Amino acid sequence: MSDDNRQAEVTFLWNGTPIRARQGDSVAAALWRAGITTLARSRKIHRPLGYSGAYPTGVLARVNGRPNVRLDQVRAEDGLVVEMQNTWPAPRFDLLKLARVLPPRLVYGGFEHGAWMPKAGPAYRLAERAMANLAGVARPADAAARASLVPGERMAVDCLVVGGGPAGISEANRRAGLGETVALVTRGDRLARFASAAGIVVEPLDPKVRLFAGMELFGVYRDGALMVGAPHDNRRGAVAFDPRAAVLATGRRSIPPLVRGSELPGVLDAHSALQLAAVHRVMPGRRVAVVGTGAEKGLADRLVSLGVDVVHRGPVGELEEIRGRSRVTAIRAGAEIRCDAVVHAGPWRIDPSLGFQASGEGMFQMLARPLPDTMSVAGAAALGDERIHARRHLHPGTLICPCMDVTAGELYCHIDEGETDPEVLKRLTSCGMGTCQGFPCWEHMLALLAARIGVEPEAFARPTHRPPRRSITVAQAAGLAALVEPDR
Amino acid sequence: MNKPLPKRASVVIVGGGIQGLSLAFNLVEQGQRDILVLDAGYWQGGASGRNGTLIRPGFSSMAWTELFVLTVNEWRTWSKRLGENVMFTQRGYSVISETEKSEAMLIEGLKVQKSLGVDSRMLSRREIEDLLPAIDKSRVRAVQHQPEGGVAPHHAVMKGLLAFCRRSGVDVRYRTAIGGVERTGPRASAVLVGDHRIEADCIVACAGPNNPEIAAMAAVPLNGFGMRIEAMALEPTRPLIKPAIALIDSLAYFHQTARGEVVGGTEVPETPRMSLKVDVPVMAQMAKVYLDMFPQLGEVRILRHWAGQFHASSDYAPLLGEHPELKDLWFSAGWSYGFAGAPAAGKLLAEAIAKGRIDRRMKPFALDRFEKTGPIAEGGIVLA
Repeated sequence: MSDDNRQAEVTFLWNGTPIRARQGDSVAAALWRAGITTLARSRKIHRPLGYSGAYPTGVLARVNGRPNVRLDQVRAEDGLVVEMQNTWPAPRFDLLKLARVLPPRLVYGGFEHGAWMPKAGPAYRLAERAMANLAGVARPADAAARASLVPGERMAVDCLVVGGGPAGISEANRRAGLGETVALVTRGDRLARFASAAGIVVEPLDPKVRLFAGMELFGVYRDGALMVGAPHDNRRGAVAFDPRAAVLATGRRSIPPLVRGSELPGVLDAHSALQLAAVHRVMPGRRVAVVGTGAEKGLADRLVSLGVDVVHRGPVGELEEIRGRSRVTAIRAGAEIRCDAVVHAGPWRIDPSLGFQASGEGMFQMLARPLPDTMSVAGAAALGDERIHARRHLHPGTLICPCMDVTAGELYCHIDEGETDPEVLKRLTSCGMGTCQGFPCWEHMLALLAARIGVEPEAFARPTHRPPRRSITVAQAAGLAALVEPDR
Repeated sequence: MNKPLPKRASVVIVGGGIQGLSLAFNLVEQGQRDILVLDAGYWQGGASGRNGTLIRPGFSSMAWTELFVLTVNEWRTWSKRLGENVMFTQRGYSVISETEKSEAMLIEGLKVQKSLGVDSRMLSRREIEDLLPAIDKSRVRAVQHQPEGGVAPHHAVMKGLLAFCRRSGVDVRYRTAIGGVERTGPRASAVLVGDHRIEADCIVACAGPNNPEIAAMAAVPLNGFGMRIEAMALEPTRPLIKPAIALIDSLAYFHQTARGEVVGGTEVPETPRMSLKVDVPVMAQMAKVYLDMFPQLGEVRILRHWAGQFHASSDYAPLLGEHPELKDLWFSAGWSYGFAGAPAAGKLLAEAIAKGRIDRRMKPFALDRFEKTGPIAEGGIVLA
């Protein structure tokens, strides 16, 4: 919205339309600036999804013939061809989005259990083919795109720090000061993205620390003796670390409000709203509501100082509904408030994947142990989880898992029949089996389940978290084959 | 949900995976009542929810092929008999050879398969092109194709079985571990759940990796060893690969599911162990297989990588039947192709238990074969 002529411009194509972007913009930010907020559609009902910070499925698109590329991790470049997925016959003339008029009940268990399909014979085969096309969402990579193996790297370090925020930097610097060899992995393309965007001054990283930016550390193997990360950039190789010690400084994420409409384009977590406003200089919306568990006041002040018009700030527990059809148009929090964006700053919760991999075995969960002695937690990740505000009777249309289109209504069908085992609910509905692999949607599922039957959410073991959570391509993984020997 | 456990049952099945539920389903069809299924874990928590879901009739030995011809015939009838869609689809099963040696073995295996009426043939280059347009043809030496093979997604199969069992009055309990098996004279007579004793005319162990524990509770030996196998799923895309595929030289198998993920697994030479955790070599090796065979998969991201456990017999063939040393204790154990084989095993065991008739197709898999007739030699399995 603010024009800065000093920055060079690039032009890429979105569904065939040229979009001008600033050099350095992510494609998601550039599209937001151009007023395009629906970047993807959910799998079954084709609900509009966009850049949210919480659900990666909303930013997956086809880029230069490659399926499922995260638009918030791709820089806008001249000539980039970006297309929306899950459309037919074409992104600009999409008949599949008519699925939005289907009653949600019709797709309960749909793709997973073939409820509406013929049971055998050629009719089944035809239905299966139709379903495979609908459920597949993305076309396979272009036949011409013959990927070749991307060689990986193996690296022994005294200490591996996961997380490039202030806590991770501080811990890496301290260890390097003691003479240890230290590697720091951060998923950001640079260090302390969020702290800087929030206006916090962060100490510089000791140059002796080997920095891996733009990399997702996704796997903890062999009780923490082997940890693996892969760069977002598919042309760069994965790294297998042999750390003598590891520090998880992965921070916490804000979980979207557990109300109807929380998947709508325009609902952003604090991190991504700050990224848009402070780094890309794009307003998250014209009229912005900020909710949270205490941090909303500071966040709202920061957004106002960046030029954002904040029309509401209040506790997330008071939020009753987010309204809108293809993006946010209002919220209900006591009264109805017109706005086109909702930014949430809490409840804050820890992404449990790495900790679970290091400690939990998976089958009966009671085998979950404390972290191995070589692993520790630093920064906000050590603060624990904040409680998710959940009502006993959510609107059945409240979307719990945007990847698999699992609603509160579908979960209630099973819970109200007496099925209260999270592992079983997961298998009956596929909740959490999509792009995000359970974070944040299992947090929502467990909170909903606990509220529905009137117990504490801690009563439930969480479903199993497993790597690599789409953090590595086949070609990158193949590049590790010669580097890691089977454990004999 | 929480009514008390019964004091007796005609048949107690230990294990509520596909083996246990298939047996319960077939017993119901044979007219059996008072069936109790006990499972220590959660529904689909074991190998029945973690396997590759591939199904084929043809192997290279008579014993395996006869059993799996039966199982494919059973699979075709399950949706109708259960009244639930198990989504079994005969989209074909291609066994791919990359070496002269394995090609010769596949051609040899055709003789056995043909003699038993299995539709199976070696594909011409032209047919390979038509069936597998995305495969890297330069790596393929030969393809044995079985059009009657296919897949069935385990979540749909398990849902159908459980729904049928519950509807038919089978008492199925998850998160209910047994603590002991009681013997009375020459027979097994009861199982213990905590302090609770459940008398049974017949006890059947279908407990997958926990079968040795059941055998130990009854103080009888059981052949075999435990191991984990890993598999992984790629992010979904629209259809690229039609049939189910086994690579006999790379020990890899995979297929693209009806909802788009390419799911498969492979083996690496690690020390066999029991764990549900995964390790890097299988992911890397499987990725290399995908990249070599289907270069279009190179840019696809890996969604999830998991492990499953099983207890394989020393010849990888199932152990089916009553224990030779203890009457009324039966086993469906030692499986490595247990998901595919469950319909046949359930049918044969149910007939044996309910009617006392031991089918000839079950006989080769008797528990005491190692002492009596020797192990079953089967070269067509993707395991080593």
